[in-house]
Amino acid sequence: MKDQSIYAIELENITKTFGRIVANKNINLNVKQGEILALLGENGSGKTTLMNMLSGIYKPDSGTIKVDGVPVSIHSPEDSKKFGIGMVHQHFKLVEVFSAADNIWMGTEHTGFILKKDRYNKISEISNKFGFEFNPKKLVSNMSVSEKQTLEILRVLYYGAKVIILDEPTAVLTVQEIQKLFDVLRKMKEEGHSIIIITHKLNEVMEISDRVTILRKGEYIDTVNTSETSEQELTDLMVGRKVNLNIQRPVTEFDRPLLEIRNLTIKNDEGSNAIEDVNFYIRGGEILGVAGIAGCGQKELCEAIAGLRKVEKGQINHKGENIVGLAPKTIIEKGISMSFIPEDRLGMGLAPSLSITDNMILKTYRDNKKTPFVDRKTAKAKAEEIIKKLGVVTPSAETPVRRLSGGNVQKVLVGREIDAGPNVIITAYPVRGLDINSSYAIYDILNEQKKNGVGILFVGEDLDVMLALCDKIMVLCHGKLMGVVHAHKTTKEELGLMMTGAKNISEVNGKIAGIAKDSRIQNAEEEDNA
Amino acid sequence: MRNNTKEPLIRIVKREGLKKRYIALLYAASVVIALGVGAILLFSLEANPGEYYKQMFTFGTINNRFAYLQYENYIKEFVPLLITSLALSLAFKMKFWNIGGEGQFLLGALAGATVAFMVPASTNQFVTIILMTLAGAVVGGLIGLLTSVLNVKFGTDETLFTLMLNYIALYIMMFFGETKAKWNIFLKTDSERPQFAKIPETGRMFKIQIGDFSLEISLIFTLLLVAFIFIYLTRTKHGYEISVVGDSINTARYSGMKVNKIICRTMFLSAALIGAAGALRVSSVESLSTSITNDVGWTGIIVAWLAKLNPIGIVIVTALITILQCGCVTASVSANNVDSHFADLLQGIILFIILAADFFIRFKIVIRKRNKSEKNTSEKEETV
Repeated sequence: MKDQSIYAIELENITKTFGRIVANKNINLNVKQGEILALLGENGSGKTTLMNMLSGIYKPDSGTIKVDGVPVSIHSPEDSKKFGIGMVHQHFKLVEVFSAADNIWMGTEHTGFILKKDRYNKISEISNKFGFEFNPKKLVSNMSVSEKQTLEILRVLYYGAKVIILDEPTAVLTVQEIQKLFDVLRKMKEEGHSIIIITHKLNEVMEISDRVTILRKGEYIDTVNTSETSEQELTDLMVGRKVNLNIQRPVTEFDRPLLEIRNLTIKNDEGSNAIEDVNFYIRGGEILGVAGIAGCGQKELCEAIAGLRKVEKGQINHKGENIVGLAPKTIIEKGISMSFIPEDRLGMGLAPSLSITDNMILKTYRDNKKTPFVDRKTAKAKAEEIIKKLGVVTPSAETPVRRLSGGNVQKVLVGREIDAGPNVIITAYPVRGLDINSSYAIYDILNEQKKNGVGILFVGEDLDVMLALCDKIMVLCHGKLMGVVHAHKTTKEELGLMMTGAKNISEVNGKIAGIAKDSRIQNAEEEDNA
Repeated sequence: MRNNTKEPLIRIVKREGLKKRYIALLYAASVVIALGVGAILLFSLEANPGEYYKQMFTFGTINNRFAYLQYENYIKEFVPLLITSLALSLAFKMKFWNIGGEGQFLLGALAGATVAFMVPASTNQFVTIILMTLAGAVVGGLIGLLTSVLNVKFGTDETLFTLMLNYIALYIMMFFGETKAKWNIFLKTDSERPQFAKIPETGRMFKIQIGDFSLEISLIFTLLLVAFIFIYLTRTKHGYEISVVGDSINTARYSGMKVNKIICRTMFLSAALIGAAGALRVSSVESLSTSITNDVGWTGIIVAWLAKLNPIGIVIVTALITILQCGCVTASVSANNVDSHFADLLQGIILFIILAADFFIRFKIVIRKRNKSEKNTSEKEETV
């Protein structure tokens, strides 16, 4: 063990600008050996930029980076590796067709010409030491998300990294997997590794970290000891003012089912079943949450309801009418709004190079059949109204959407969808990557719609949020329905078990989950058999 | 053992929010620099750059009794390039890479000539020209439609497909130009050697006489087309659809647009305009030839991109490039050491330097400051 007074990593007055945008301004951060530091901040506060400077992807404009007390300059990921810094990115950087071991060897230097067998031993040695359950010969394409993450961590350990940076590692994991990851992190800490973990989730910060460094809008705010702080204090530091952390769940009167899904089967792009024989229904004035590990059919389900993906089998029934096979345009006209926020946030629903004004009329531009021209006057008025109502930060309504920050992009999208006055809202990851303020603004909007009798399908990532916001939660595992539970009667652990398929309550005592008593589908059985 | 590598000498930093005036200045400067480089080349060819450029920019209209001929010639070159560039910008805006302008132009010209040779000689000149233009548009449009239908149905690559069609079109033209036969209406009947015949008088371009100068009506048609395309792209639903499809095809589908229909419709329009340009060109030069395109299918791509697909910009860039091409031909007459192909060279240099200017508009280069003591670095940079 080295002298404890020397930090493993010290960042002093780091500044980084992109054009006119200051991503990091005079940031100070340090990590001791054998310590877990949480890096906390809203979106766009510069956490990832800062860490990318440690991992050699960006270079600071000014400031000093010290490793073990010695000033260094890091030009490339190779340099970073040399200094013993390893980063596990949010999006994995793995070769799918290679085995785990090959992925690890790929980046190592001095491997010689011939691959030696003893490397398997070295990998096993590391995984035993830290308590991973891991098969080095498994192909990456056959791995689950959590296994891929384990592989990424193993890889940086194999390189001999002493400082490990994890960028939002828990976003893609279930509750049980998160606990496993935290066990590993604690073991690494005991071995004298330094860990920097970026996360949005305050409960995880409280659980795993020793100290917390908080950034806000690219500026350094404070570093506090975890044992001496609370979730509320961290939020206030992060946001810069008092925030109410409770999500409302207004009680409304339920209507008859608005949207009923019966025996739905959908294929994914690879041709295997993305959604298999799923039943569920949404009533007016209700928020139904969809929980599940990333990529277990959520996207395909949303696309199928919006008419963008072919339905193999089953029906989607809107107010008693089957809408399978209708054109997307017709489905929009029936008042079904779908907004899916993909990982890059711009992929579906917005045209990034077009202005906010132009994006407003995406679904309505063709409404006036009499004229061949686009009505931009009304569009601009609508854009300005939404900018004002939702507090979108933009220079003007004519600014291209891609120039806005993530939160504002989502506000534009959600604002437009709600402005259209839908009766069913399908929304997937509406707060994906949003900071606390913007997220709460979006929850409020959804609750307001719920009070107006709109039926809402909320595909989410954060179980805590879903438990607080939704009335009921349906759980998917590999495209199959594991059951529908009342949000106020269930727990995170139960949802976690259902998400991994360990618990299946889709059929209890012959009663199939997801079929309404007062269904509008008549003689569903006969229709299916026909 | 740590290698404290120093900051690199030069690094590239992204920049945003340059003033429009400054951008325009940069482009102007890049043209001047290009002309400067051209001047050095001219000097090395023992030509007088000043004299050469003067001739080039005035394309021989100074002290020339027949200056009106130069203007007529200028318009002859200007019209097809302008139409083609506008048409290509429609497809490019949709991110559909139509590089088959050459082929669509050639076949449009062939269709136009067919009409000219087939209609009775007594037909009204005006009617014939309209029929020729329509024929060119239909043939061009059908080729465009073929490309886009195959693209949306089977996912064929439109770049390769349109490129290959260029050669097919060229060989079809050569076939008609070199096959002596009774049915071949395009050839001279009185010549032993196969040679393209002049088209009948009824099919020749209608001209408005202004003094000595005769104005081809195709110019008026073209300027109307500019206004049409401008409104089409910026004000109409079709134009809106094109920009959404070009920006994000998934978003277009999601919003209920019939993406395949939009792609086919736009590609039909793009290719039809190029075909029409081909037919008008035949009417203007009064004869078919395998080199009738004068490379507009290629130059049009450059024009469309230099103008950032803006219709008004396309008019300006076309005007400038045509000056360059016409001017170099006349200037090379006066400077006998310089080949008329110098235009191509100069065009290449200008393009290269404008692209470099584009780089400087998007990025700036930061050179490492020469600080003798490392300690001062951070303090100094903070004050910047």
